[in-house]
Amino acid sequence: MPSHPLRVAVVCSSNQNRSMEAHNILSKRGFEVRSFGTGTHVKLPGPAPDKPNVYDFKTTYEQMYNDLVRKDKELYTQNGILHMLDRNKRIKVRPERFQSCKDQFDLVITCEERVYDQVLEDLSSREQETFQPVHVINVDIQDNHEEATLGAFLICELCQCIQHTEDMENEMDELLQEFEEKSSRPFLHTVCFY
Amino acid sequence: MASGSGEGGTGVRTSVASQFFTGEEDTAIDMTTSEKVVDLLNQAALISTENKLTVLKQVQELIINKDPSLLDNFLDEIIAFQTDKSIEVRKFVIGFIEEACKRDNELLLKLIANLNMLLKDESVNVVKKAILTLTQLYKVALQWLVRSKAVSDMQEACWDMVTQMKEDVLALLDSDNDGVRTHAIKFTESLIITLSPRTPDSDTPRRQEGDISLDKIPRDHSYIRYDTLCEEGKQALEQLLKFMVHPAISSINLTTALGSLATLARQRPMFMSKVVQAYETLHANLPPTLAKSQVSSVRKNLKLHLVSVLRHPCSVEFQGQIGTLLLDLGMAQSDIARCTPAPRDQRKRARHEPYAEGKKIKMEPALIEDDEDKEEPAPALAPKPSSVPGTQSAIDLTAEFLLPLLSPENVANLVLISMVYLPDAMPASFQATYTPVESAGTDAQIKHLARLMATQMTSAGIGPGLEQCKAREEDAGKEAAELEAATETLSASKDLLIKRRVSSVSMGQAISVVGAYGGKSQSEDAEESPQVAMVKRMPEPILPSTQTKAPGASGRKKVFRLADVMQPLADAQMEKLTNMAVKRILQSEKAVARSGMAHVRVKLLSRLVTQFEGAMKDEVLAFVLEDIRLRSDLAFSLLYQEYNAYLSQLPNGCLDSYDHCLITLLSGLQEKPEQRDGLFTKLVLEAPLITESALEVIRRYCEDESRVYLGMTTLKELIVKRPSRQFQYLHVLLDLSSHDKDKVRSNALTFIKRMYEKDQLRDYIEKFALNYMQLLVHPNPPSLLFGADKDTEVASPWTEETVRQCLYLYLSLLPLNHRLVHELASVYTEAIADIKRTVLRVIEQPIRGMGMNSPDLLLLVENCPKGAETLVTRCLHILTDKVPPSPELVERVRDLYHKRVPDVRFLIPVINGLEKKEVIQALPKLIKLNPIVVKEVFNRLLGTQHSEGSSSMSPLTPGELLVALHNIDSTKCDMKSIIKATNLCFGEKNVYTSEVLAVVMQQLMEQSPLPMLLMRTVIQSLTMYPRLGGFVMNVLARLIPKQVWKYPKVWEGFVKCCQRTKPQSFTVLLQLPPPQLSSVFERCPEMREPLLQHVHSFTPTRYPEKRALRPAVCTPPPPPAPHTASLQLTEMSLRPVFTQHLGQAHIPASVMAVLEANTRQEPEVVEPEEREMEPPSVAPQQPYPANPEEEEEEEPMEQGEPAPVAAQDNPTEAVTQEESVEPEEISAPSPVEKADEPMEEGVAEPPEEADQSKEPMEESNVEAETEAGDPE
Repeated sequence: MPSHPLRVAVVCSSNQNRSMEAHNILSKRGFEVRSFGTGTHVKLPGPAPDKPNVYDFKTTYEQMYNDLVRKDKELYTQNGILHMLDRNKRIKVRPERFQSCKDQFDLVITCEERVYDQVLEDLSSREQETFQPVHVINVDIQDNHEEATLGAFLICELCQCIQHTEDMENEMDELLQEFEEKSSRPFLHTVCFY
Repeated sequence: MASGSGEGGTGVRTSVASQFFTGEEDTAIDMTTSEKVVDLLNQAALISTENKLTVLKQVQELIINKDPSLLDNFLDEIIAFQTDKSIEVRKFVIGFIEEACKRDNELLLKLIANLNMLLKDESVNVVKKAILTLTQLYKVALQWLVRSKAVSDMQEACWDMVTQMKEDVLALLDSDNDGVRTHAIKFTESLIITLSPRTPDSDTPRRQEGDISLDKIPRDHSYIRYDTLCEEGKQALEQLLKFMVHPAISSINLTTALGSLATLARQRPMFMSKVVQAYETLHANLPPTLAKSQVSSVRKNLKLHLVSVLRHPCSVEFQGQIGTLLLDLGMAQSDIARCTPAPRDQRKRARHEPYAEGKKIKMEPALIEDDEDKEEPAPALAPKPSSVPGTQSAIDLTAEFLLPLLSPENVANLVLISMVYLPDAMPASFQATYTPVESAGTDAQIKHLARLMATQMTSAGIGPGLEQCKAREEDAGKEAAELEAATETLSASKDLLIKRRVSSVSMGQAISVVGAYGGKSQSEDAEESPQVAMVKRMPEPILPSTQTKAPGASGRKKVFRLADVMQPLADAQMEKLTNMAVKRILQSEKAVARSGMAHVRVKLLSRLVTQFEGAMKDEVLAFVLEDIRLRSDLAFSLLYQEYNAYLSQLPNGCLDSYDHCLITLLSGLQEKPEQRDGLFTKLVLEAPLITESALEVIRRYCEDESRVYLGMTTLKELIVKRPSRQFQYLHVLLDLSSHDKDKVRSNALTFIKRMYEKDQLRDYIEKFALNYMQLLVHPNPPSLLFGADKDTEVASPWTEETVRQCLYLYLSLLPLNHRLVHELASVYTEAIADIKRTVLRVIEQPIRGMGMNSPDLLLLVENCPKGAETLVTRCLHILTDKVPPSPELVERVRDLYHKRVPDVRFLIPVINGLEKKEVIQALPKLIKLNPIVVKEVFNRLLGTQHSEGSSSMSPLTPGELLVALHNIDSTKCDMKSIIKATNLCFGEKNVYTSEVLAVVMQQLMEQSPLPMLLMRTVIQSLTMYPRLGGFVMNVLARLIPKQVWKYPKVWEGFVKCCQRTKPQSFTVLLQLPPPQLSSVFERCPEMREPLLQHVHSFTPTRYPEKRALRPAVCTPPPPPAPHTASLQLTEMSLRPVFTQHLGQAHIPASVMAVLEANTRQEPEVVEPEEREMEPPSVAPQQPYPANPEEEEEEEPMEQGEPAPVAAQDNPTEAVTQEESVEPEEISAPSPVEKADEPMEEGVAEPPEEADQSKEPMEESNVEAETEAGDPE
């Protein structure tokens, strides 16, 4: 669909790291992109693995930032969380939950299989109305800063390729096969309808 | 919406009331909206796509939502944009049509045709949008028609078109475009929902509550037929199911279809059994074309949709199947349980009777009937009985049939048998779907297995279930007369139909497998087929049979055999067709090249042509040769193909065809004018094999003077790069080395020389060269030498040409390998004279190239085979021609000369390397040789041969040489040879200058006995250099004390000399003792008178003076020491020897007596005795003291040199001569005889020799005179 810019959604669990990294890069590359999380809460690493910082989706990045600065500025500076939040708050105000968004997209990219399942479940549970198709692609990305950056570039490349196809739906299969070979990781792919 | 409708209301009101009120407010709004729309539309026509869309969307908002009354007005303007070139604009138009039609259904009449047009748009994106819109509008149109009680023609036509469009979209399930197919699936889904009745169980989305469905269609509608629609809906479902089982379905289509089925199952639970069945089939038969990740995606989807189906309350009957599937898909049992809905009371029973489907399914039709009963309860009872077995599908029946057969033994056998048919590699789909069987051997698992097998068997079109169903279907067909029954039964029987058609699609593979097995045990075979079918099902082009085809496909297909419908063509016709085909391919060169498929064409051509014999090959070759540069690809391809054909037939293969191809190409190239691109070389070097005849062509190249270099370069490359046959190629090159064309030969030789440097080729080349040279041993040239015309009779003699031919190669190798020279020597000794001569001529260059330091050449000289002397000599000559011989060479020659072959000629070339003594020793022999040779010897000795001053190398100075010649023992050599030799010396005026000659004379004069040729040399020197006159006088005077008269020959010369040098010689004569003086007069009587007069011219008082001086005069001058000779030479030559004063002063009486002999005889007789007594004192002592005074006078005398010679011209002199003639004649006899006798005795020469000695003297005189005359 080269005639209008792709409407892309990048979805991860908490709409903090992976989806925001991709959001950042994609918007810089001129895509009409939005990012989401599918979790019930926004979770950020805490002082111990079993003590995460949990927020709801209404909390702004700014608030989270301030909260963490207050809790342990050094720790969160060191593990990059503050830096990440700082970046996020410059992109948008607060994390969004995919299930709450009723806007339509052409392409939804998820960052792990669990998220993919949740997106699919959500999309197929919605009432069909226009039958407008939406392609959902899962790109597995580990939830850390480095992988998020690498993954974001991969997503960006993928989006660019899709954007440049003459007929996205017809070429999608082949394109994904190529990408699988190139990046040597499997992509889950399906189509849903609004 | 609310505000929109409100506005709409206003609009309507305004239009109605406008005639009555001119309400400003309303009009203003109206005007503004309308104007605004006009304005926007005008803008839209001009601006860019992006802005256009924005503007058009505003217009849409205005006329649909804000003021729908305007809709009709501006409809045309908006619709006009459907031909816009922008896809987005066209898509907008479609969206507009949808919105407009939803807003005002009547517009369907106008717009449906436009939508139809857009449905066939060239852009898939437009088509997709149109499909989406049609999905909506189909429902809208149906509802609209159902609502309107009286249907107009227009409406009917409109509906017909919608129906037609629906068919079109269904057909798009076969589209090439994945996206279009996806949209068509969704359309089908929606269509099926619409065209099937909603039931209470239906899980209908809230938004679609109001949507029309089959149950809302009145059965008495004037135009819409309930049953038709119902039928259409079922057909659509059929199509969808059929579409889904296609083996090559794309993953997205499959995903979409799975979703659609889930929707169908939830919204129309009546289809749930089919859906679950389809899921089962799919799960067992995932398309093999799917990639690994796609398999996971599909499985994930399947799981998702199964769960959603499971959640539906109606899934109760299928919970077992769905549960098993979900387990297989990796879902935990607990999760499955969580998704299973709490059964309603009535279903509880069912749960306790697992798989009693018959009963359970009974519920379903009942439910449906409940729905339908509302409208038409009557027929509900009739189908019920038949529907019970009807709902039990073929799969169920077959599964039931199989279940008891699955004993562990049978299963084990099945597994064993099927092992054989497993593919080599595990298909991705299998790998992905395989889950270890957890509950193996349990009843549930056996049931599942039976069902799986049944699914496969039914797909393959076999099994008892299918047969029963078929029979039942037929029954049902009869009963189907009633519509009510139809709704019930058809759903079941159609199910079967679909199954069967599906099976016919896959029959192609599945049945063949089963068939191959023979029908032993049905169950076993049946087990076989599904597995194999699942695995082996190959991707097929997506050609799901269309609706019209489908029924036909269910019938027995007649196998099509090509052979049945074919007739063989006549051979000629066949050939013609082949030729034409090949020609077409040939001529398509440019077109093919443009398409970038040139390599395919080349391959095709070469393959074709190689397979067919005959003219075609030549044609293609000719075609290639037309422009070989462009078509070299084809040339090579042909060549390789031919070779390949040959190889494939080994060991019986025949190279003819390949040979022909190669030769044609090579020869063709030769005829081409320009060869710059090296194609020939490339062809030769890249050809897999060089045949004999190809080699011949290469040879022809080498012989072609304009191509010789190219040919030979190629040949050289061949030799270097094809070691296995290098000698064969080398032989050709060697052959060419004796070619009669200069250019060919010289090139060949150059190349061979280069080859010769390679060790592995060296031997061969050498052997060849030597063999060739060996031919010279034959008495006649062998026919081999005549190359092409071998008929030449052997009898023809050797010519220089043929001899050279044998030697070219050898001689060019010689400087590279000196050892070869010995072979030449041995051949030389055996060869005939003619050949020898030629050989001597041609060896110059190579021998010179070898140089005199070559050990082999030295060895040759040392050994000098018998018969090869001339060769060796020639070699020596060549070597020393320009440079002086090296000591080694001299040593060898000397050895040879002294020890083995005493031929003096050997010495000549190295003569300058010999020692003085040796040269002198050899001189007698040397000068006896052929005059030309002698001349050469002298040239060498005198250094006159070379321009550069290498004479210093000569062991003898010119003077020494001349002296040595004089001293040659006359017994060793005849005088004539010696004289000739001295003459040669005199010939070299540059070397024998007056000074040199003076020294020679001086030396000779000192010798004792005097050399025979002394006086001859003196006279000759004088003749050459008259200015030596003074010196000669001195010499003469000094000879007197040596009693020169005792050497007859010398004496003869002495007299002659005096004769020639008168009057200068008078003083010398006067010093002679009287007898000798008289002897002089006897020989030359004419001398007396002038001498007498000379004496008379002296003063009268001479006698006493004479006497007083006499003893002094007679004292011989001290002989000059040899080592001071050169110093004295200068003194002597510059000093006047005699002065008149002296002469005048001392004339002895006895002399006077002789002078005056004709008057007084007596004293003459006495005097000789006197004279005899005192010979030692004859020489006057005086001349030396007088020297200083006379020095000045000497020069004028010398300047007047010619005088004595020219004296005869003087008249006065002539007179004196006349006067003295008489006395000489008278007095001559007696003294001459006396003098002659002793002379003859002393010399003891045979008369001949005397003659000989005279002759040369006369000759030399003549020569001397002429030589003297020359300068004048």
